[in-house]
Amino acid sequence: MRRLLNIPFAPVFVGLFLVGATVFSGALEPVFDALSALGPPPIPADNPQSVDEDGYPLSDDPKVELGKILYFENRLSGDASVSCADCHSDQFGWSDGQDLCLAYQGTGNWRNCPTVMNAAYLDRLFWDSRSDRLENQALDAATSAVEGHGNQEMMEERLRQIPDYVARFTEVFGTEWPEKEDIWRAIAAFERTIIQPDTPFDNYMRGDELALSPDAIAGMELFTGKAACIQCHTGPLLTDQKFHNIGVPDNPLFASDPLVQITFRFQQYMRGVPEEIYRKAKTDLGVYLETLNPEDMGKFRTAPLRYLIYTPPYMHNGAFFTLEEVVDFYNQGGGSDQVEHLAGMRTRTSLLRPLGLTENEKRQLIAFLESTSGEEVKVERPVLPEYAVLETHD
Amino acid sequence: MLPLFALALNGCGENPVHDEAALIELGNYLFFDQRLSGDGSISCATCHDPNHGWADGSPLSQTYPASDGFRNSKSLINVSSRTVFYWDGAYSGSDPSEPTAEMITGKLFLNMHDYLLTERMKQVPEYVALFERALGAEPSFDGVIQSLVAFQTTLTTGDELESLESASVQRGRDLFGGKAQCSTCHSGVRMTDALAHSTGVPENPIIFQDPLRHTAYRVYLKEHEVEDYMTIGQDVGRFAVTKNELDRGAFITPDLRQVADTAPFMHNGVFSTLQEVVRFYDERGEGLGLTPTEMTDVVSFLENLSRAMPEISDMPSPAYQVSAEWLEVSN
Repeated sequence: MRRLLNIPFAPVFVGLFLVGATVFSGALEPVFDALSALGPPPIPADNPQSVDEDGYPLSDDPKVELGKILYFENRLSGDASVSCADCHSDQFGWSDGQDLCLAYQGTGNWRNCPTVMNAAYLDRLFWDSRSDRLENQALDAATSAVEGHGNQEMMEERLRQIPDYVARFTEVFGTEWPEKEDIWRAIAAFERTIIQPDTPFDNYMRGDELALSPDAIAGMELFTGKAACIQCHTGPLLTDQKFHNIGVPDNPLFASDPLVQITFRFQQYMRGVPEEIYRKAKTDLGVYLETLNPEDMGKFRTAPLRYLIYTPPYMHNGAFFTLEEVVDFYNQGGGSDQVEHLAGMRTRTSLLRPLGLTENEKRQLIAFLESTSGEEVKVERPVLPEYAVLETHD
Repeated sequence: MLPLFALALNGCGENPVHDEAALIELGNYLFFDQRLSGDGSISCATCHDPNHGWADGSPLSQTYPASDGFRNSKSLINVSSRTVFYWDGAYSGSDPSEPTAEMITGKLFLNMHDYLLTERMKQVPEYVALFERALGAEPSFDGVIQSLVAFQTTLTTGDELESLESASVQRGRDLFGGKAQCSTCHSGVRMTDALAHSTGVPENPIIFQDPLRHTAYRVYLKEHEVEDYMTIGQDVGRFAVTKNELDRGAFITPDLRQVADTAPFMHNGVFSTLQEVVRFYDERGEGLGLTPTEMTDVVSFLENLSRAMPEISDMPSPAYQVSAEWLEVSN
């Protein structure tokens, strides 16, 4: 696929010693190793799929092809009205372009829709990290009452009425009939092909110092220096995958949209939030819903900073529609703690302080943030197979 | 996962009724409110329509969207005197709470999440007020069921009509209890023995030809843990519940008090007129030997059983609202 050199970033040495060179020398001392290029995604041993010689998943694997069709399969949802691809569409950066995610018919959503792009690399999924792997994330979203509202038994029987699926499941999984667990294995295998490790940033990190514009390089220095983004946005995914309360302002829809309010309360009730908190909360309590530990109130997993130019709006509630707004937010030192009265303590991070970025520096920082996107990845929409018309058995 | 404050908010068991009329009014609203279904597209009245005798007028009922039904929708008329529910008799007793709850949460029916329903109710100020008046409590799933059960007690037919019975009706009554042997099973005040019988009603083939219906039927069999459900080509009826071979193809005897208003007939709607039903019984087995006139008389008798239907109208559903003081009020 491409030559991979896992060489740490060394912008100072690039500038001073390596002008004109195409490949870093491994002998150079790194200034820091917090950023690196993206390699192939991890493939779980219990859900294998074909990869190329460099370890990148192949899209012509029958399991991936099956997963791709299922990804677009609206009949997995309760009333057959939505598929994975409706909220995670390649037309919107494998998200949906909304501030708060699209929802199942008759319901509202309450969080921004995370992109499927590069989700294969994440240790855990969802803004509150409640899912440990893509297989379980897909199941969770497809069966949630406000997302897919599908029922696994129903899905399984629907697929069994579709001869093309029966043949494909048999080919891929060796079973006589489609089995529900394999739906999620196939979809996850497809999602592991939705990656973009070929970005200007990655190529720069691999040694092509011409891959980034001077503005982007300056932005990277701000990212790792004055703007201090690197405190949380580290590693090849540019996230520590940890939880922080940065005081993102509430989405105004929380106060104005009845469907959002219904789902907001439903989520808390579902997750077992104590009544006192359920009664008082007016803002998303984040990973607290997963841990029920007051120290986690208002904390969300640090977002990966890849594919950003295709995935606005940003933040867990889509509060910001442009990267300029995001940078302005951090330049002000983040937002105020909105959960202190509920948590009985301050959970907002102390890592954020006003940055004093100039307009030019903000522009450079955004140039860097845009450099981690790469070419837009789109797929051809598959043709969904049809139900069979059945004969009587006797 | 059971929420920590399940007792406080959702209630285990029923709330004491403060105002029965308010409870019935609430149930009347909710019966026609499509937000009781998962995607907000259907209500109780979709399959229990007052314009179709509180059934739906189709051979096979519809289901939640993207599936389709494999049984005839049972009329809810006089349901509060019923002692066994569903064609397969899955529920019995005098309390319709359980089948009512299953109709709301069952994936083939309204497919509604009970907690989400509670939160939807809380978003409608008129409902919040009715819950408070009726039960002295905030909206809850149990309260929804209580109100729908209370409403169903109003779905009763009126007194016997004061009209002279025709000679045909009188002959039909005699035949019903005599030569036609109907009262063997259609006995008692409700004209049902509330038991399951296999009478050899022909299969409705569309259940096994239409993938949406076949899917629903298989899901039903799978839910009831019926073995070999992938290859069963007939409706097993009460067998799905009891696993007793004697119940294979057996269905609960329907009551006949308002039968003429609830066509089509039988568990799978294969007969669209009472004439067809009577002819079926006349011809099955060794035959009853009814003459054409006698069959007409039995039909006359059955038609004469109908009484005045309750006058209940579709209540327009009040809209969701957002409180202007959302930040200040308790959730």
